[in-house]
Amino acid sequence: MLFLRDYGDTEVGGFGIAASDDLLFVEDIQLVKQVCSWAHVAFDDESVADFFDRQVDAERRPEQFARIWVHTHPGDCPRPSMTDEETFERVFGRADWAVMFILDCEGQSYARLRFNVGPCAEVEIPVGVDYSRPFSATEPDTWEQEYLANVHAEQLRRGMASTLEPVLASPFDEEPTDAWYESWFDYAAEEEEAEELIL
Amino acid sequence: MKILVINNDGGGFADYVDVADGTTVAQLFERQIGSTKPSHYLIRVNRQPCPADQVLCEGDRISITPTKIEGANS
Ligand SMILES: [Zn+2]
Repeated sequence: MLFLRDYGDTEVGGFGIAASDDLLFVEDIQLVKQVCSWAHVAFDDESVADFFDRQVDAERRPEQFARIWVHTHPGDCPRPSMTDEETFERVFGRADWAVMFILDCEGQSYARLRFNVGPCAEVEIPVGVDYSRPFSATEPDTWEQEYLANVHAEQLRRGMASTLEPVLASPFDEEPTDAWYESWFDYAAEEEEAEELIL
Repeated sequence: MKILVINNDGGGFADYVDVADGTTVAQLFERQIGSTKPSHYLIRVNRQPCPADQVLCEGDRISITPTKIEGANS
């Protein structure tokens, strides 16, 4: 996480991969394709879906790979912003539980665990390194490759549109057709009508 | 028939489920996710986005994954 934070000038984010026997023990950080600036990070939706596919193929459960959302703040404040709170609510508020972890430039961190079932509590949790667990050697070359493959700085995007376009391209092999839009539009409209009837 | 369903809502899910022949993507979505709007998710079948009325086939993999994951520092 420190390596990823310090490699570039921008925010960077990913998912914490937890041990199967301790879901709050993060064994690895995995990046997805993202567009970042000093103040913002946005994951690529298709890359998130690919990440889920890869993790399931590796026989991990969603609670091991999709519950700990991590990102950095290049400034000196690890407190969540409005955008962070909105994402934590909208994306991670539907899972039974989730953690938002933020690491700032000076090494301060913030972690909050939320439970969305039962009494639906939220609590800030301490962060530490567990040296009692075995850990593999550092792999800066691998980390660098992962960083370069996934993290695309926003200012580069403007100047290198052709190189980075695939990162933000539509998740379709071909452009979505009118029929595709209509099928989901009709479905959503039916849902709303049903909701109104219930109300 | 059996299909593989992947999603993170509730307790999280990545397992095979039995569905009736002729089940569409929209019906499966409703069964797994309920009333949440489909626009909050990227829904793919066999790693490709799909129309709501696509009929699922034996062995299909359907993933329902979150979209617009964004962070900011101010
Ligand atoms: Zn943030």
